[in-house]
Amino acid sequence: MQLPPKVGIGRQRSGLFTGERGFALLMVSPGLLVLILTTTFPLAYLIWSSFQNINLAMPFLDGFAGLDNYRNMMSDGRYWHAQQLTAIYTISSVFLQIAIGLGLALLVMQIPAGQWLFRIMAILPIVLAPVVVGLFWRTLMLAPEFGIVDFIVRVLGFGSVNWLGSPTPALISVIIIHTWQWTPFAFLVLLASLASLPPDIYEAARIDKANAFQRFIHITLPLIRPAIIIVVIMRSMIALSAFAAIFAATGGGPGTASEILNLYAYKTSFVELNFGYGSALAVSLLIITLGVSGILFHLRTAKRN
Amino acid sequence: MNQASDNRGRVTLRGIRKSFGSFEALKGVDLDIEAVEFFALLGPSGSGKTTTLRVLAGLETPDEGVMTLDDADVTYAQPGERDVAMVFQNYALYPHMTLEANIGFPLKMDGVPKDQIPGLVREAAAKVKIDHLLHRRPGQLSGGQQQRCALARAIVRQPRLFLLDEPLSNLDAQLRLETRVELKKLQRSLDVTTVYVTHDQEEAMTIADRMAVFLDGNIAQVGTPEEVFNTPRNVDVAAFIGSPPMNILKGHLDGTKVSIGDYAFNLPAAVARSPGEVVVGIRPSHIAIAQEGLPASLYLSENLGESMLLNFDVGDQLVKVRLPEVCRFADNETVRLKFDPGHVHLFDPQSGTRID
Repeated sequence: MQLPPKVGIGRQRSGLFTGERGFALLMVSPGLLVLILTTTFPLAYLIWSSFQNINLAMPFLDGFAGLDNYRNMMSDGRYWHAQQLTAIYTISSVFLQIAIGLGLALLVMQIPAGQWLFRIMAILPIVLAPVVVGLFWRTLMLAPEFGIVDFIVRVLGFGSVNWLGSPTPALISVIIIHTWQWTPFAFLVLLASLASLPPDIYEAARIDKANAFQRFIHITLPLIRPAIIIVVIMRSMIALSAFAAIFAATGGGPGTASEILNLYAYKTSFVELNFGYGSALAVSLLIITLGVSGILFHLRTAKRN
Repeated sequence: MNQASDNRGRVTLRGIRKSFGSFEALKGVDLDIEAVEFFALLGPSGSGKTTTLRVLAGLETPDEGVMTLDDADVTYAQPGERDVAMVFQNYALYPHMTLEANIGFPLKMDGVPKDQIPGLVREAAAKVKIDHLLHRRPGQLSGGQQQRCALARAIVRQPRLFLLDEPLSNLDAQLRLETRVELKKLQRSLDVTTVYVTHDQEEAMTIADRMAVFLDGNIAQVGTPEEVFNTPRNVDVAAFIGSPPMNILKGHLDGTKVSIGDYAFNLPAAVARSPGEVVVGIRPSHIAIAQEGLPASLYLSENLGESMLLNFDVGDQLVKVRLPEVCRFADNETVRLKFDPGHVHLFDPQSGTRID
């Protein structure tokens, strides 16, 4: 039997810009170009400048610096302090978001009707700009003498606290502000995850003599684990690079008491005008963020298999 | 294993009522289930059989009525306090646990010492022939294997009451027949009171020692499969039991003489009832084609392989006839149907109850 000769419409569509694929590429290219200009190029420029001396205060030293910026970082006490604060800030705010969000989601799941009201209320803090959140906490909530939180604390007899003006309360305050804004996100994701759990396995567990606590530990937690890990990944990446709310509330102060790595990089670049060192700090934050999320993603897939 | 044989697992339900919103699922159910009995709850969907099973399990609290288990009032007892086990329709296995953990879960929750659990799990798994799959998760198993895992999880604890909610309905036809036989064997070997919900009356007939027919939130009849099949208590049960179910026709009774239109035949014994209208019920296999009888024209014939199922137009009604051997009929062919008088059932046209 003889096969027909290989001529067809498909044969003519081999070039990159011919046929459907070419048309698709043509349609995507403006968007792709904007994306490259706004993300890839600044990122490459950041990495390049982290190997340079660019200091507007001492322009006469400008030039290629090699690994100097990174070497300086290793012996910079303020850098390690910022690292430490970033870790405290990220771990505690993500932990609080998950714990409070899960608790609220479990409570709301018990409500037979009207869950939609809580879902809508939960969206409100999320849609506020972080800068607004920072300012609103600084003025309405935490301001000594006038803020609601300070008022409550005074009424309870603990006296007025300078929430954003003394070191430890300042750090706690910025953690609370971040938790306040982003717990609803964890709440919504975990609520959706809880709502999707099949009810009959809970009935099976009740028949198998598991009490409410055992059902939570042995059934609920393992089943919503993927959702928890996703929330941890997303929130950790955002918390590591948090900026606006802290900047608006404390500006990293008092002193460096709430100066997480992102704020330190910003101040170095745009207050002290040392762009080279600021870039190196930003790159180190980038590496940490990628590393942490890489480990978390790995944990997620490793456990699933 | 024979803890159950000392008369454990006697259940009574008295006046159980349950509503979901405005829907009345159970309208006063009374039921007695004996120890070690294989009892089927049979009925169409929405008839209340699954709600009854869930009341037995403690997953639903009745609005009214009393349930006792071995003479103890358990109406408001939690599921875990009743020592019952249940196989759910879609198995309800814990998806994140291996089969071993699934089957061992009730033991772990029951506080069985850790070193005893693997042995008991293996024993239960071996009974349903899945002991080679213990390291797998439910998602890696076929429907039949998941079903066996659900069975193993239910029997591992040696419960007082074994509840099965349509356990075979998600299996394919071949597997259903095989599992049905195994289930019956398993129940006999375990000696445990078993309550089995099904809408498949063939399943109930073959597997159960006794059964309750649910219709519209009430129990229409309780009895052995033979009793229910041979002497249905009312016309609704008669029309539900049997595959295909009984033919129901309007007729007239006068002494021993029953007439349907122009066709008349005599019953073997007189019925103590004044002459008047009756409802005549007759199973498809108790009708023959003869020279004399009820005139009927063929609507459709179905070849079942070893028998024939013929659908006849009689007046404005369809009458089904099952013939023991395969034969050919032309469409619209007119024949005469002869009823076997010994197998005719009569019902009151108003109340629908059986006339004996």
